[in-house]
Amino acid sequence: MTLTIRNITKDFLVPGDQSICALSEITFSVADEEFVSVLGPSGCGKTTLLRIIAGLEYATSGSIEINGEIISGRSPRMAMIFQEYSLYPWRTVRDNVTFGLEVGGMHKSQAREVAQTYLHLVGLDDFADRYPHELSGGMRQRVTVARALAIKPQILLMDEPFGALDAQTRNRLQEELLEIWEKTKKTIIFVTHSVDEAVYLADRLIVLTSRPARVCEVIPIHLARPRDRTGQEFARVRRQVLDLIAQPKCSLQ
Amino acid sequence: MKNSTLVAFAAILAIALFIAGCITPSPPAENRVSLIQARGTGPMPTLLGTGQIDAYIAWQPTPEVAPLAGIGKVLLYSGDLPPEGKWKNHPCCVLSARQDTIAEQPDLVNAISALTILSTRYVTEHPDESAEIVADWLAGKGNFTYGNVSVSSVDVLKQAFPTVKFVNEPTGPWINGNIEFVHALRELGVLTGSLANTTDEETIAILFDTGPYYQAKAMIESGTIITPPSSGKEIGIGYLNSDHDAALFVAVKNWQYFNDNYGIALKPVDRTTSKPEKAELIVNGQKIANVRLVPGDAGPQLMQLASTNAIQMAYVGNPPVIAAADKGTPIKIVLAINTEGSGVVVSKESPATDWKSFVDWAKARSAAGKPLVIAAPGKGSIQDVMIRYSLEESDLSIIEE
Amino acid sequence: MRSPVPLLLPVLLIVGWEVAAHFIDNPFILPSLTTVIPILLHPFSDKFTLGTGSLVDNAAVSLFRVALGFALAALIAIPLGIGMGRSALLNNILDATIELLRPIPPLAWVPLALAWFKIGLVSIVFIILIGAFFPILLNTIDGVKSIKRTWVEVALTLGARESDILGKVILHGAAPTIWTGLRVGFGISWMCVVAAEWLPGTTRGLGYLILYAYNFGQTNVIIAGMVIIGIIGIVIDQVFKAGERRWFSWRALER
Repeated sequence: MTLTIRNITKDFLVPGDQSICALSEITFSVADEEFVSVLGPSGCGKTTLLRIIAGLEYATSGSIEINGEIISGRSPRMAMIFQEYSLYPWRTVRDNVTFGLEVGGMHKSQAREVAQTYLHLVGLDDFADRYPHELSGGMRQRVTVARALAIKPQILLMDEPFGALDAQTRNRLQEELLEIWEKTKKTIIFVTHSVDEAVYLADRLIVLTSRPARVCEVIPIHLARPRDRTGQEFARVRRQVLDLIAQPKCSLQ
Repeated sequence: MKNSTLVAFAAILAIALFIAGCITPSPPAENRVSLIQARGTGPMPTLLGTGQIDAYIAWQPTPEVAPLAGIGKVLLYSGDLPPEGKWKNHPCCVLSARQDTIAEQPDLVNAISALTILSTRYVTEHPDESAEIVADWLAGKGNFTYGNVSVSSVDVLKQAFPTVKFVNEPTGPWINGNIEFVHALRELGVLTGSLANTTDEETIAILFDTGPYYQAKAMIESGTIITPPSSGKEIGIGYLNSDHDAALFVAVKNWQYFNDNYGIALKPVDRTTSKPEKAELIVNGQKIANVRLVPGDAGPQLMQLASTNAIQMAYVGNPPVIAAADKGTPIKIVLAINTEGSGVVVSKESPATDWKSFVDWAKARSAAGKPLVIAAPGKGSIQDVMIRYSLEESDLSIIEE
Repeated sequence: MRSPVPLLLPVLLIVGWEVAAHFIDNPFILPSLTTVIPILLHPFSDKFTLGTGSLVDNAAVSLFRVALGFALAALIAIPLGIGMGRSALLNNILDATIELLRPIPPLAWVPLALAWFKIGLVSIVFIILIGAFFPILLNTIDGVKSIKRTWVEVALTLGARESDILGKVILHGAAPTIWTGLRVGFGISWMCVVAAEWLPGTTRGLGYLILYAYNFGQTNVIIAGMVIIGIIGIVIDQVFKAGERRWFSWRALER
């Protein structure tokens, strides 16, 4: 399965701050089971792109295709993971995970069984009956991942999912994410502004400028996993990426 | 203009106005009494007991309450107000009905009129029993508490009854008494519509339709009440929470008696409650209509309901009917339900023992700079009209609040 | 209530009342509570209430009317509020009208209620409905507007249709604020019961009892009626608060 982002352009007719979110002719493809990171400066260009792929916003022109078929709006083959405030505080952890299954018509009791397996996958079996406010930030994001996985999407869209967490938790969750990715064989598009994070996680980096956002570089990462954050190889690749980003064509306004 | 000139100009203007105010002649300080309108008679004993008023005029049983609660004494009853003989048998409450109801359902109106006449007769023949029935309706036969004193409502009503004359006939003098009220209301400025400038004959034509009274009388004398056609519609009959409406209360509570002896009854649907809201009109064994008994706070409120056809008949005082007819409500006075039945009460400490000493007291208080405060139950009410007349007749001028 | 502190002031007031009554020594200005207490101690008796039925009967009648008016208000206001919270268009159309009608006190609607609905339950319930309507509506709109955008977008990305979003996200997310609106709305409609029962066409109810007692100058009955109204008001408010603690504690903890 190939996901193709073709010439996605988003204009904002109302001038002002919104034009920071404008996109211009974004094109790239993502192969099956690939882990791609969209890297860019803090701002909303990359988030806008992800939201267009997810079907939450519309592009002014361009298309999203899966295996050559244009998809419009939301596709059941994708699930999105947000940075924060995405769990429903009135539902238990387990019932948060069943949400997508209920919406899909599954019976509550069956959905609960399915949810339990995904909670096991993210290591939260014992917290199934707790409420989100009882969990730490890292645990909450694990629940979000379980919830997205429960509807068996082929593609995961992740919008800076670890951005609100402290460094230690973030690192741990990055490792867990890779484990889950290897187990479940999903295709992942991971948006971040952190070069470290992108280099640690991804097979390829799609680097965007801003105002309007364009693809200025596509950088494959040839590092074997598991990657060592403190190792020399890692530092070298990181250096490379930073140099490439520092070029005029990727210069950030 | 410079600022200082402006200020000086304003100051001179202010002083000039102040002096003008001071030298405006004020009315003479002698012989003044203050007349205030209470909303109904309910607050009057409290006002008297707290010293906020010196006297009040009210319909029964509020006058009787004063001596029983130890807060005042009854000076005189309304029939005895001056000038001598003028107010004897003065009209008070009536049965009124909408014009269209009389036209479209004459037998029904006649039947209700007949029941009222029969019930009034019963009330005059059985005053103690009737007083108890009224006490039951108004107060569940419980006590009235005024201050620290508790009196039985039955005792209050029994004491009040002899002062109320329960009569129905729309005699010549009675109709004239009503016309006098119309004149008085005109003078008060209350009538500005259809009755503002009519001659007495025209007034009578607008205000009265006594046909049902005479038809009812004839039916009673012949011994048979004509069975009205069954009506699908609910009939609303308004009334006031006063012993003047005793005929209605007795008719409803003693429905069995009237049913068995005369073939007409207002049978209450809920026979356990003190104040039935719903009844059935039964004539000669047939149910004729569902009746809704609607208590009103005051006559004008009942007339308002009559004007929107929410009720079709009402037991009220005559001034509200007059005012309603003046405004164009198609309402008619059919018969009387009582005459007299009001009284003037003065405070416990008052030196007054009759009207003459009352007037002396008023003059003395006025001269001392503390005019008497008298309460009436509402502008344009019978009591208000009578007290004004009597006060002015006795050379007292009224300060309105 | 666990601690005795909230009861302190009422007890002090009662004691203060009796002392003042003794000193003033004019039972019309400040009636001694000895005339009021017997009425309160016999809530099932019909001997103390001027033939209107027992205090309990009257309370039941008033509660029924208020419950009816309140339920109708909620039935209209909650869906309307959700619509106005979700749709900017609907909000724009209705907002000015609502802001115009809102400040009109329920009592002012009495003459119109009588003219439109004649005498009886409908006109009384109408006044109560007006009282409850606006707090419920405004709180519902507020509750819907305060729903986190992410909650809705999560649902969308998980495949929810509009009906799912409404039933699984909007209603739950707005529920605490709506509940507050219901609590305030009930409080106001309970206050309106006195005004509403002054409409002609009834001879029962706590509001009617107070008016009737006033017409006969029975201050002790008026005070007894007021006390019962106050007590019922507190009890029901506590019920609402308990519901909030049980179902919506997540809102406070979310912050």
